Amino acid sequence: MNSRFMPRILIIVYGNPMRSDDGVAWRAAELLERKFAGSKIEGEVEILRCHQLAPELAEAVNRFEAAIFVDARSAGAGGEPGELRCEDILTPAGKSSFSHQLSPGAVLALSRQLFGASPRAYAVTLTGECFDHGDSLSPAVEAALPALVARIDSLVRQLRLSVGSLKGIPRRTRSRTKESPKCRNPS
Amino acid sequence: MKQGSIVIDPVTRIEGHSKITLHLNEDGRVEEARFHVTQFRGFEKLCEGRPFYEMPSLMARICGICPVSHLIASAKACDSLLAVRIPPTADKLRRIFGLAQVTQSHALSLFHLSSPDLLLGMDADPAKSNIFGVAEKNPELALDGIRLRQFGQRIIERLGGKRIHPAWVVPGGVSEPLTEANRDAILFALPDALAIAERTLEWFKGTMEKFREEISTFGNFPTLFMGIVKKDNGLTFYGGKIRIVDASGHVVADDLDPTDYADYIGEKVEPWSYLKSSYYKPKGFPDGVYRVGPLARLNVADRCGTPRADQELAEFHELQRTAVLSSFHYHHARLIEILYCIERLEQLLNDPEILSKHVRAVARPNALEGVGAAEAPRGTLFHHYKIDEQGLIRWVNLIIATGQNNLAMNRSVLQVAKHFVYGNRLTPGMLNRVEAVIRCYDPCLSCSTHAFGEMPLRIQLLSPGGEVLDDVARA
Repeated sequence: MNSRFMPRILIIVYGNPMRSDDGVAWRAAELLERKFAGSKIEGEVEILRCHQLAPELAEAVNRFEAAIFVDARSAGAGGEPGELRCEDILTPAGKSSFSHQLSPGAVLALSRQLFGASPRAYAVTLTGECFDHGDSLSPAVEAALPALVARIDSLVRQLRLSVGSLKGIPRRTRSRTKESPKCRNPS
Repeated sequence: MKQGSIVIDPVTRIEGHSKITLHLNEDGRVEEARFHVTQFRGFEKLCEGRPFYEMPSLMARICGICPVSHLIASAKACDSLLAVRIPPTADKLRRIFGLAQVTQSHALSLFHLSSPDLLLGMDADPAKSNIFGVAEKNPELALDGIRLRQFGQRIIERLGGKRIHPAWVVPGGVSEPLTEANRDAILFALPDALAIAERTLEWFKGTMEKFREEISTFGNFPTLFMGIVKKDNGLTFYGGKIRIVDASGHVVADDLDPTDYADYIGEKVEPWSYLKSSYYKPKGFPDGVYRVGPLARLNVADRCGTPRADQELAEFHELQRTAVLSSFHYHHARLIEILYCIERLEQLLNDPEILSKHVRAVARPNALEGVGAAEAPRGTLFHHYKIDEQGLIRWVNLIIATGQNNLAMNRSVLQVAKHFVYGNRLTPGMLNRVEAVIRCYDPCLSCSTHAFGEMPLRIQLLSPGGEVLDDVARA
């Protein structure tokens, strides 16, 4: 089978696991791997761990039908510690001049610029409290970890249905809006 | 005109967080420049009390860009604690790992961080002077950067199981042998990587004419150069003896044992930076300023030992009758090293012993002190550990490439600022050149301060009285 027609989802977890809450995405990745192990999802999802988003991810995301970026959000960026957000990444906002660390939107923009396409993409973030040296999470973030994992799992399941329905249609000709699940945060 | 100083904070497109202050004199010319690293170092203390065998994987976490270099230097220090000679195949596999690391790290430096300067020019619109600007003007170059970096990362992933913080290199060797399938997959990818290296080197050499002014002012001054060389004085990244040459290219010190680094390397702490400054002790401070990294390695090496890289090295040595002094040529040296790495990878992967299953020597600690040294992408890296009878770490010292280049980076910033900066306002071209000279060294401040994570940098223009005349911060 031509792999271009296979539904595939990339989960990019990023942050520094040795800076306390900054490593929450890596912790989520471990739990997701356990959750998906042995299920049909396991073969359809790839989890990529990194410290920061670099330009070569533009090529990686281009090979998938959908991408989920998982990160810790600093308290300065809004929200209480442990607050979960899920957002559609629709526009290539936030092009960065500092190409060691790109925003998810910039990775998608670069993918479109170099490869002519980018997948539908979502950002799932959790507000952190402590970013000091350390490999454990603050209590609020630790408590919110199961909800983070559940949100990503739910998004993956929605995406599987969505991308599965597109099986056999070349990816670059698909509509990005009709079948895509929407990320909505509780008001 | 009023005297003052300029602060550039943060310096962009480097790995880490730092700032630059430029002090002006009465005529509005730059009198003093300082490259400050504002991140606090802390890794050495964190290691105390940990079992020594955890050190390689722990040390690899200093940096997300060059974890393999720390892994290798750390494992070598642990080999020394075990007092073992690792199996020959393990030695070769570690070399392969290191070459892949240098390739991906150099690719990041050249293609992702410095190619905007080289392709779009130093005076380009800052909004476009980034990877997106490169992708717009020369998509093939941007793609080559991505592919070459992936080439290196995939080798690391194949050998180490993951591309970031692989724990495959262990005290006594490596944890798993190379499989035939992985060897063949890497060999299959080599021709494309080699083609990218060749065409990028040609492209770079074609652009050098446009940067005559930068070549003459970007860290173009006499210093010493230090690097590890093989027994035949050839280029190596894994192990050998330390060699130091002076600005005229004459050998000042040869066959120095890396284990004895404390005898010939001094470290000075400045109050304005968390980054320690290294110097060659026999020459004292600050006359013992030396540079490490690609430029230094090619200045100290007589040969590479691979056909194409040797041709390019001969051409490189002809750039100047003395040692090649301008730090602008770090870029050129980096490309020659990429070429060398790819050629050397092919040699090692075709070695008949490379699939041997004997890849680890097992022993208990037999010494209470060990030093490991290797050439990281940015220069010579030393790991020095002391343990107690239980094998717990009691003391750690790390000497990192960026710290060793600190004095030269400061002088380079001053030289560039004196030439390009005047008045009490920074133009984008001035700002970018001051930053670009730092990018030549590809400093990794996460490594050099041994701190975690990422840091951005900033330029400030200060009056003699300390008044801030201009302050530029870019994220």
